[in-house]
Amino acid sequence: MWPKVVSGFGYWDIYVWLIFLAIACFFTMWLRNTGRQDYKEGTYQDEIYFSGNDVPEDGEDISVPADSAYWGFTKFFRPYYDFMALFHNGLAQDYLGYFVVFIAILTALIVFI
Amino acid sequence: MNWQAHLPALLLAVPLLGAFATPLFSLGGKTLRNAWFIVVSTFVFLIALALWHEVSVSGILVYVMGGENFALTLPSGMKYPVRIILEIDALSAFMVLAGSITSMAGAWFTLSYMDRFTGISRFISLYFLLTVGMLGMMVTGDLFNFFVFIEIASVASYGLVAFWRDKPQAVEASFKYMLLSQVAAMLVLLAVGFLYGKYNVLNMGALGSVMQMGLVEKFALAMLFSALALKCGAFPMYLWIPDAYAEAPASVSCLLVTVSQASLYGIFRVAFSVYGLSMTNSVVAWAMIVLGLLSMLIAVSMAVVQHEVKRLMSYHAISQTGYMLLGVGIGLLVLADPQALAEYGFTAIKGGVFHIFNHAMYKGLLFLTAGTLFYMTGTRDLNKMGGLIRKSPITATMFLIAAAAIAGLPPMNGYASKLLIYQSSFAIHPFITVVALVTSVLTLASFVKVFQTAFLGPEHKALVNAKKVPATMIIGMGMLTVAILLLTFFPTWALSNLVEPAAKALVDQAGYIAAIMGGAF
Repeated sequence: MWPKVVSGFGYWDIYVWLIFLAIACFFTMWLRNTGRQDYKEGTYQDEIYFSGNDVPEDGEDISVPADSAYWGFTKFFRPYYDFMALFHNGLAQDYLGYFVVFIAILTALIVFI
Repeated sequence: MNWQAHLPALLLAVPLLGAFATPLFSLGGKTLRNAWFIVVSTFVFLIALALWHEVSVSGILVYVMGGENFALTLPSGMKYPVRIILEIDALSAFMVLAGSITSMAGAWFTLSYMDRFTGISRFISLYFLLTVGMLGMMVTGDLFNFFVFIEIASVASYGLVAFWRDKPQAVEASFKYMLLSQVAAMLVLLAVGFLYGKYNVLNMGALGSVMQMGLVEKFALAMLFSALALKCGAFPMYLWIPDAYAEAPASVSCLLVTVSQASLYGIFRVAFSVYGLSMTNSVVAWAMIVLGLLSMLIAVSMAVVQHEVKRLMSYHAISQTGYMLLGVGIGLLVLADPQALAEYGFTAIKGGVFHIFNHAMYKGLLFLTAGTLFYMTGTRDLNKMGGLIRKSPITATMFLIAAAAIAGLPPMNGYASKLLIYQSSFAIHPFITVVALVTSVLTLASFVKVFQTAFLGPEHKALVNAKKVPATMIIGMGMLTVAILLLTFFPTWALSNLVEPAAKALVDQAGYIAAIMGGAF
């Protein structure tokens, strides 16, 4: 029997997963090989299609910066992030205040419950 | 007495010697200094490995400092232990092993990463002192000494965070860390004073044997928990972490991850071994669960929107600490209920403990890869990076392995530990599992962003002359990568030999006490 990580509710078997991955890789490669056979490396087929425009020389001009990633997510949660910006204001005295409030609440809970 | 009996003392003595002898070795030139740095770090790792093996074979090790017999905790006529005693059970040995690996990996990485700066002799001394403080917190059996080692680690880390003292951000980060950390350390001292005043003992095992919950004990518990929660970076006290981890040199950030985990270990030790079943309510267990959930979710939500790579990773360090608090918190919640403990509580503790080791490895590696990106490009801003996989495919591969592990993607080691936490937390309430799963999804999203912006895409003109990654930095990262892969491909071995003994040691309060008190218990 192969070793398993048993959680009490189920189990995790790394080797079964690896076999699954190998099978998935096999089918992926097979699908890829059924693609176009007329591709030739180093020809015009390698050129980037940039909506019919000239491709900028600097890669930075056609990169998606980290700030633009998940902009929809960020926009949707804008009120939350505005609040969090206030929480993370960088002021040490505020950070210390949060700590004091936390101690007070936890002490009250431990002592009175 | 055989030489293995002295391993606990050697574990602290060797890096301490390393710290104070470094300036002397520096006089012999850079090569000698670097060789000393690596030899001592490797030796510490080997001692940790031998210690773990010894504990696995012989059970709990105790070492009495300054006594006529190193193994005699209670000399004749003594009712309580009075000397400084190191007590290493399977959990301590487990933590020490994780800490020594990250320390060694960081040392290799430092060689080239910090080569262009001055003051490296001081850096290495502080690095060793930080290692001593961290290891001391993990092996001490004495509450006051725990405080002393916290202070050693803290003072060293203030210096290391502000090592680039020409950068105002680094000095500010260190100052904030110092302010908060010192208040927390004073609370630990106050709590130790409370308990000493009441029981006349400082030894954790001895305290556990006489502990009876009263007002003093409750105040001490609240202070210890709050202070250590701040040190390990739990919500809402984690705010010093993004600044400190981001501004510290990468190898220091790598080590700071396990230093924070030493504080987490402190929470677990106090909750299970000192207070244990004498806790009359479940407030601390619920506090661990709730703080774990809030730390996970809030920190990961902050990480997703970061564009500064080390800051992003710092938020993830906080988020992953939440998993450990959650897992062990569930175990603490059902500690007094043998059936629930057997059904899911112990699984949760195993998940939390396994996650500690996993986190030390992959988060350490992520900080080192972030350092490599900074080394190559001179910036930590992801907006200014791109196409770096062409410059260093090895770094990209190692980053990908660590990112998959932290996101809990199967078949990585992070998945194995998270699975245990997911399934056991479901027994408490499905909502807890949902939060843990959402956190994992956001973690994955966040690291997809890092990989895409830093490594993929076209090459930036400004980065055409990006520096080549030196071999010693690759060796440092490689060590942690190997550890991740071993934990990934042999999870059953890791659980049986590393995690389960550690989790059992955590719940075995009687065993921890008996190792000190012996027949007196």
